[in-house]
Amino acid sequence: MKQKIIIISALALLLLLIIFMVKDFFFNNPGNTNPYQFELDNIRKGDSAKAVFAETQQIKTSLEEIHGIATDTSGKIYVSGKDSVAIFDAKGKTVNKFRIAGTAQCIAVSENGKIFLGIQDHIEIWNNRGEQLAKWASLGTDAVLTSIAVKGENIFIADAGQKVVYRCHIKGYLLGKIGLKDPATGVPGFIIPSPYFDLGISKDGNLWVVNPGRHSFEKYKFNGTLLSSWGKASMATEGFCGCCNPSNFAFINDSLFVTSEKAIERVKIYSADGTFLCVVATPDQFESGTKGLDLAVDKQNRILVLDPVKKMIRIFEPKK
Amino acid sequence: MQNRRDFLNLLCRGTILTGLAATTGVLAYRSVKGGNCDLGTSCNNCKKSESCDLPEAALFRQTVWQLDPTKCIQCGRCAENCVMSPSAVKVTHVYAMCGYCDLCGGYLKPDTKNISTAAENQLCPTSAIKRKFVEDPFYQYTIDEPLCIGCAKCVKGCGAFGNGSLQLQIRHDRCVNCNECSIARNCPSDAFKRVPANKPYLLQGIEAKPEEKNKV
Repeated sequence: MKQKIIIISALALLLLLIIFMVKDFFFNNPGNTNPYQFELDNIRKGDSAKAVFAETQQIKTSLEEIHGIATDTSGKIYVSGKDSVAIFDAKGKTVNKFRIAGTAQCIAVSENGKIFLGIQDHIEIWNNRGEQLAKWASLGTDAVLTSIAVKGENIFIADAGQKVVYRCHIKGYLLGKIGLKDPATGVPGFIIPSPYFDLGISKDGNLWVVNPGRHSFEKYKFNGTLLSSWGKASMATEGFCGCCNPSNFAFINDSLFVTSEKAIERVKIYSADGTFLCVVATPDQFESGTKGLDLAVDKQNRILVLDPVKKMIRIFEPKK
Repeated sequence: MQNRRDFLNLLCRGTILTGLAATTGVLAYRSVKGGNCDLGTSCNNCKKSESCDLPEAALFRQTVWQLDPTKCIQCGRCAENCVMSPSAVKVTHVYAMCGYCDLCGGYLKPDTKNISTAAENQLCPTSAIKRKFVEDPFYQYTIDEPLCIGCAKCVKGCGAFGNGSLQLQIRHDRCVNCNECSIARNCPSDAFKRVPANKPYLLQGIEAKPEEKNKV
């Protein structure tokens, strides 16, 4: 009897040992206990509680690469990309599509309907029928044109490569350079660690330029006088994250700023003095690693976000 | 030669003898020169590859382990799986790519409230990254290598929020070049490979300036 108990106990112990070994061999995942694992998923979730906008429409562009978006006064949407420009109506129907030579990184449409394209180092002007009206000379071998704004006879061109904003006449000649570092006038100089450098003209007729390395917006007169700036570097929703943000912006309701960021892909709205107002789109609405979410606002005050990864225009409107 | 049958008989025997002689010669050569090499086993898995005299083993010894930053997923296992303590894998700063950012994703925790050098704001668990003001708004980040344990937290942060100038590399002043690298065995992304000993680093982003690779 005693011997039987010993044998049963030994077998039970052996069974336990086998179970332990099998678990150790096959079910122990060292990744689960890695003390140095650094998870960024929580950051990418974003603050959806502050999102007061909802995505209401998506427009597929059918372009190979998309980089720039603009709207005109009639509500048409213009998208520039690799070798092509596409024009859509407000409902997303293709109005026209024409081929260009090269990749248009940025696009702007003047009040009289002329299309301005920034293609690597030079500007080209087209009409909406796909006819080239002008091609300007190169702005330098190091030029990387990333944004254009048109106001009357003034054209402002952001050059991320040479870290300067050019003010040109609509006929193509240079009127001046804006943003070059000058301690005497308090201009800090643009810091552009990556090729995202946006500008725009506000309703009150001033030039706003992103200084991405300083995580700030700078307000200039057309003659280059620095008037003011705002911005705060922070990973929190209220600030601009990463090395250099915001990557793009647009104006809504005349004076509010719609901004987009890379690294933490999010779209937000700020007041004219830089007070954070609300979230338009949270990081989980974009593919991880999406960069260059160019923005535009149409005449219905819808926010158009160009998603270069999904190759579509994503339209956001206030939640009802 | 009496007839055709005798001729064929002699030819077959001659062929068999030649084959046997050749096989014996090869085995004798390997026995004397190369030890007991297991045919069909690569030097990578052979325990005698460090002392073997075979030409392929000599070639194998002229290569070293290195981590390919393009494949690295910053899982953190390099810190724990190396036979050396701390790990022979350390972060390397490619200054040519660095943005010298104030809000550095490789230096600061993502949820930090203030941008400062306070320990609670630092992402590195051993404070191996030093931050130094250069000029407004630039900061230089240097690696205190003896403190670095190769956990890759900073690499992930820099890649996610910056230009990816922080990259993991096996430092050959520490690596003992094991036949079977224990980190490579546990690497989930197969980022470890043998590279020529005269080009032992695989840094990304400085291809245009090869002289910088030699400074590492």
